[in-house]
Amino acid sequence: MLATLAQAVVNGLLIGGIYALVSIGVTLIFGVVKIVNFAQGEFLMIGMYLSFFLATRAGMDPLLSLVIVMPVMFLIGMAFQHVLIRRVLGLGDMPQIFLTFALSVLLMNVALLLFTANYRTVQTPYTDAAVHIGAVYISVAKLIAFVLAMVFSGALTLFLQSTDIGKAMRAAAQNRDVAMLMGINTDLVFAVAVGLALALAGAAGALLMPFYPVYPAVGQVFVLMAFVAVVLGTLGNVTGALIAGLMMGVAESLGIQFVGADSGLIVVFAMLLLTLAIRPSGLFGGRAR
Amino acid sequence: MPLGLRSGFAVDIAVRVLLFAFIGVAWNLMGGYAKQLSLGHAAYFGLGAYTSTLLLIKFGISPWIGLVAGGIVAMLASLPIGWLCFRLRGPYFAIATIATAQVFMLLFLKFRDFAWGAEGTTIPFLGNAPLMMQFSGKAPYYYIALALLVLGLVITYTIERSWMGNYLVAVGEDEDAAEAVGVNAPRIKRDIYLISAFLTALAGTFYVQYIYFIDPNTAFSFNVSVEAALVSIVGGIGTLWGPVLGTVLLEPTSALLQSWLGASHGGVQLTVYALILMAVILWRPTGLLGLLTDAYHKLVRRDG
Repeated sequence: MLATLAQAVVNGLLIGGIYALVSIGVTLIFGVVKIVNFAQGEFLMIGMYLSFFLATRAGMDPLLSLVIVMPVMFLIGMAFQHVLIRRVLGLGDMPQIFLTFALSVLLMNVALLLFTANYRTVQTPYTDAAVHIGAVYISVAKLIAFVLAMVFSGALTLFLQSTDIGKAMRAAAQNRDVAMLMGINTDLVFAVAVGLALALAGAAGALLMPFYPVYPAVGQVFVLMAFVAVVLGTLGNVTGALIAGLMMGVAESLGIQFVGADSGLIVVFAMLLLTLAIRPSGLFGGRAR
Repeated sequence: MPLGLRSGFAVDIAVRVLLFAFIGVAWNLMGGYAKQLSLGHAAYFGLGAYTSTLLLIKFGISPWIGLVAGGIVAMLASLPIGWLCFRLRGPYFAIATIATAQVFMLLFLKFRDFAWGAEGTTIPFLGNAPLMMQFSGKAPYYYIALALLVLGLVITYTIERSWMGNYLVAVGEDEDAAEAVGVNAPRIKRDIYLISAFLTALAGTFYVQYIYFIDPNTAFSFNVSVEAALVSIVGGIGTLWGPVLGTVLLEPTSALLQSWLGASHGGVQLTVYALILMAVILWRPTGLLGLLTDAYHKLVRRDG
């Protein structure tokens, strides 16, 4: 029983690292640009396909493909901000929600047209490898993904805290107009924020590739988790999103283990609804919304 | 056949246009006027569908009664759902509503003893039985869908011209400001959610009676939630005729695309929908109706 519990928690934490990366991306865009990116999951999907084709066509290990996937996704993110998001800033909820929502539907269905609905996997030397700690079994691929996810989250936090553009980003997040008056180039700051968020989504995709199949709707699973995590972790709070992302992983895993194989999502949604009922401002900080 | 529609295909498209226009009208009351952008109206569509089907199959109760019962169940469900989701605003309200619809789908997928689980069930065909909402031809379905749409439009028209319409628009424009001038925003949001949920449930009952089949993926389909919002936005959000106009454009387009390309090109329909939606948002946020109004004003100005 204890071993089962430990196993479920470990499994949850490992996949929770991926949820955390997607959640941090969502919360970063929300915090800085003030829009919710419904297409974040599809950018993870694009990262996965990129990594998949680099692996199958160029023989590149998915982990090595990070050095291509992340910069490419960063540039796509800057373009996304410049071409699409910029045009709906300050226009109210409807255009902001439905622009990124439409983009999500578009990317998913274009992927369906291009790649069909087939599940595709990449086999790596470490895909089936595992280490045992006591009775607990740890997949090497998932462990690597988790560790790198934590490294990227830490690097982002460090970036926001200590670089000039990171500070400018936090300033723009607090008050866009004042930041502009202080001479901050908000267009650039926004583009970098969206770029970083997409680079994280791309990273999550490449990290998933050794142990998770890619298909056009794969992003939906992760983005739902991310949304719940972001609500749970207080909107716009990077550390909150990180912790909540890990929590979502554990909650889902415990749900699968103790309620039933198809109950992971029910547990996650129940957590969301419970949080809303008890503490609508999220667990970390009391910012109203 | 109504309106000179000859083929069964044409009547089928007409029924779908009327039905989705009606769902759009129901969504638009809340999403358009009060700007509470729900992406979870499938919850009520599905509750309506399941209520009437359960009553029909387990108790032999006519779907006409089930229609109203489903609406009432949806209204009752909208109270706790609204209580939870209205704590959030804007995009997070939308996300919370997605979650509620998904929860219903998962619940109905899981509890197979209660409502046939994931396999769903076909609705027994009783021949031509108008009292059981079953007809041998397609024409009666057309008129029922038309009646539903008229009902939705009359309700919208009445609300639009009442104090409630003004309050809804005030809440939609700026909720805090509306509250500051004495609008009871939580209450008005709850009330419009009740109406919107009730109407959406009617569509659910009608739809499963029309296709003679129900399963959780059909009844709580995310596509229903999306299409309800989509037709309203494309046609003209927060307007009486917007959802109708949007459906008239989108639904036949998708039906034709499907019949031309067949099922092998899954994804084409939604790709086209998404492109239209993005184009509307970027270039014409007032929708088709706004486009037509502008064109009309230009013409009139040129004439005068």
